[in-house]
Amino acid sequence: MADSKVTPPVILILVGGGLVLIGSFLDFVSSGSFGVSAWDGDFVPFPVTIIPVLCGVAMAVHIGLTTFASVNLPDKVLGLGWIQIHLALAFQAVALMVTFLIVEKGGADIGIGLWLMLIASILLIVGAVMRERESAPAA
Amino acid sequence: MDEDKKQPTPGEWAIMGGGGVMLIGSFLDFSYGESALLGEGLFPVTTLMVLYGVVMALQVALTKFANVSLPDRVLSFTWEQVHLVLGVFAALMAVFWLVAAEDKGIGVFLVLLGAGAACAGAFIIQKERATGAIG
Repeated sequence: MADSKVTPPVILILVGGGLVLIGSFLDFVSSGSFGVSAWDGDFVPFPVTIIPVLCGVAMAVHIGLTTFASVNLPDKVLGLGWIQIHLALAFQAVALMVTFLIVEKGGADIGIGLWLMLIASILLIVGAVMRERESAPAA
Repeated sequence: MDEDKKQPTPGEWAIMGGGGVMLIGSFLDFSYGESALLGEGLFPVTTLMVLYGVVMALQVALTKFANVSLPDRVLSFTWEQVHLVLGVFAALMAVFWLVAAEDKGIGVFLVLLGAGAACAGAFIIQKERATGAIG
């Protein structure tokens, strides 16, 4: 029932999913005027860098399909409910983005794409936690 | 009966073995002579998947051998679900690192092997504990 409403967490996940995808095409790391995106296999560990993109897009697509297209999906996947799947995907996205923020970059600077992907991942986990709170029975 | 309960199941052995192999592999050459655990340019990105495997192995070992009592759930997840999530993500990252690493050391393969075992163990315990997640 909650899936049919455009609630704040739904918006956060849709925006987060969109931003993580956009950010992946911008500079992940840069040095001077030279920058490479998360999709560049020569200077960043692609495809590891796009795991947060896969997580975020999967969350946004699920929310989009169930909220706007009324697509019926199974209640559970491998015993996990969709709210749990969102929590797991968002946790993985944010954990990986934090490690990319910390990792030694060999003198290169953090690019706008990495910042955007990190912010998007935070939006995703906030949205996922809010959805979990919404679904929890009132005490 | 109690002795039987203390004996790890095949799924639990796979998780403990997988986590152990990941930990050992993380000290060895992952790429360009750097280790996955603390290598320059790799830590903490490569450390994350090892951490997942070690957490899985520790949870099984502590509850089986040290009788440590842990909460039944972590947030809304049962421990079987936690194992499934961590195992799948550890294996996914290990496979992606196999593609990403230009100079593949023995550590890449050991971490991949360990992550595969831990992931398989996570699926096996779903059957063993009849969680209904598969089958």
